[in-house]
Amino acid sequence: MKSIRIFLLIALLSTITLVNFVAALHGYRASMAEAERLFDRQILGTARLLAAMPVNRAASLVVNENDLQAFQVWSRDGKILMRSDNAPVTPIGEGKAGFSEENFSGFRWRVYRHTGDDGRSIRVAERVDLRFRLADEVVLQSVVPILLGLPVAGLLIWLVVGRGLNSLRQLADELRRKRAEDLTPLALSSPPEELLPLVRSTNALLERLQASFDRERRFSADAAHELRTPIAAIQVHADNLANLLAKNSGETQQSLLQLQNSIARMSHLVEQMLNLFRMTPEHYPARFEPIDLHRLARDVIADSYPTFARRAQEIELGGEAAYILGDQFALVLLLQNLLNNAGKYTPESGRIAVDVRVLENAVVLQVADSGPGISTAERERVFERFYRVGGDRHESRVSGCGLGLSIVHHIAELHQAQITLGPSPLGRAQAPGLLVVVRFPSLERTTREITNENVEDERALS
Amino acid sequence: MLLTSVILVLREVLEAALLLSILLAMTHYLGLKSRWIFIALTGGILGSIAYGAAIGAVSETFDGMGQELLNAAMQFAIYGLLLLIGILLINNRGGRQQYRALLQWCMVFAVALATLREGSEVFVYMIAFRHQSDLLQSVLSGALIGAGIGFSIGALFYYLLVGLPQRRRLLVALVLLTLVAAGLCLQATQLLEQADWLPAQTPLWDTSALLSENSLMGQLCYALLGYEATPTPIAVAAYVLGLLLMAFLLSATWFRRGLPERESSNEFA
Repeated sequence: MKSIRIFLLIALLSTITLVNFVAALHGYRASMAEAERLFDRQILGTARLLAAMPVNRAASLVVNENDLQAFQVWSRDGKILMRSDNAPVTPIGEGKAGFSEENFSGFRWRVYRHTGDDGRSIRVAERVDLRFRLADEVVLQSVVPILLGLPVAGLLIWLVVGRGLNSLRQLADELRRKRAEDLTPLALSSPPEELLPLVRSTNALLERLQASFDRERRFSADAAHELRTPIAAIQVHADNLANLLAKNSGETQQSLLQLQNSIARMSHLVEQMLNLFRMTPEHYPARFEPIDLHRLARDVIADSYPTFARRAQEIELGGEAAYILGDQFALVLLLQNLLNNAGKYTPESGRIAVDVRVLENAVVLQVADSGPGISTAERERVFERFYRVGGDRHESRVSGCGLGLSIVHHIAELHQAQITLGPSPLGRAQAPGLLVVVRFPSLERTTREITNENVEDERALS
Repeated sequence: MLLTSVILVLREVLEAALLLSILLAMTHYLGLKSRWIFIALTGGILGSIAYGAAIGAVSETFDGMGQELLNAAMQFAIYGLLLLIGILLINNRGGRQQYRALLQWCMVFAVALATLREGSEVFVYMIAFRHQSDLLQSVLSGALIGAGIGFSIGALFYYLLVGLPQRRRLLVALVLLTLVAAGLCLQATQLLEQADWLPAQTPLWDTSALLSENSLMGQLCYALLGYEATPTPIAVAAYVLGLLLMAFLLSATWFRRGLPERESSNEFA
């Protein structure tokens, strides 16, 4: 059902039409029967009147009549005594006495044959179409107002239903005006009984949601502070210790190096966890602006170039300038995570290719690597938090926390982008590589959709 | 005159409107665009006017039996289209999307042909009264009443079908399509009997006392089930044959396809 209003309008109008017209048909049948009886009585009366009239037996009399009734008076010996001018000179209504139907003078007639006490035979005929015409007239009188009334009824139903749906429209308005992060209760002045459960449960839901978001936000803020501080302190102390030991003995202890690595991993994990929390679409206060994704990719690649250079990896950027409506900070994080992932899993002197291209209604970012790739079965799971392909026993022996793709997923969701994973064009048989395709709606489409949405909302509610 | 035109127009409008409701409900069910309806109706109405205007020339072909034969051919064509629509509907079951354009065009042609056939009869009937101004008013109001009742029943029938539970909707629509299609076979046979292509026979039974064809209920049964108060043995045979053939082909398609499988996808967002 597209619209309650149109459904009610059509269903109600159909019902009204159906009921009224069927009633009119029954009325037609009833008035037809009534007309039959009325006309028959009239014929009978005329016949009796004629039977009671004295007639001149010497010469037949022709009486002027209107076109609708005809009569003949025959004597016992079969001589015509009197007739109307529209009746033929031959006997009409031969056969047994009473009512019958016959054709003459180009019409169909209902004929009544009556034999008087003196043996005179009287035949009175009336045109059949008269009766139909009367019944037609009666039913037309009742149908025409209905026909004229239908558009009026339609208009009234339209207005009344619109009025009845007013509070629903208010509710929709209220919900539409709500921004994603606004979880204040709906303020609907005196909602009707039918909407009350909806408003109540929505408000209860919003309240629970608000509480849960608040808890999460507080937790991530607290966790950020609580975790970062001791890690930073440990890092400083470890560095100091390393310097001290290096100065004294001239060489760095192996276990201290491991400690430093562990601290770095811990620090990375904490940062990634905070990023993940921050990037949840419900929490993140995104500031959308037109951004050239190609240029952004170039900057991010330039920033992280030393990491790739250290492992002698070859990184290239293809494509063209492509604008999307996006949040700069989030997009940088997305690119960093994708590049980081590609760099980690691509072996030394491997290749990584980044490509940004404008397609019809979309901007497509592709990051391809020549690493081990991800099997089809695992592709769905890699977006889960802390999931790592093959666990820590992965052949690449790359450490990581398993949050990178979850963050990417959140940022994609924030931008209404679609992520697809597939085998990389840079891959070989042993290492099929991974191709990550992120499909952003183009700037024009996003702008158009926002405009259309507003227009459609307006239209649906008007 | 009024009653005659009510019955005639109601008969024609109801037949087209019920078919339209079933197909429209299926369009809704499959999530297709309902814009096709305008193409079909416009084509059908223009076609019926053209056919009605050329009815004299058409009648003269085939030894004066051109009209009956052409109408019978159209009925069989609609039967074939409904059969194809039924099979395609089953193939589109469970969210599968196959031959959607073909399905859409079958619907367009079925509705356009039905509108053309029924519309031309109304058109020819109306044209006969255009110079009899004394009768014209009752003929016109009779036609309006007939059309009003026909369209109202069609609209309510549509909402009834749309309101059915999702999993039963397809089955109900297929049963209805089969019944309507079998009725088309019966009517086509009667037309061929009128054209003397099939021998005239005495009716097998007479149920006009039980349910008159001229009553509203009789008209509804005529449009939906192909009800005929006095059918000949050939007509009954054609009805049963049409019914069984379609029922067999549809159930064969239904069970061959099995249960709809879920397609896997690697897409996330």
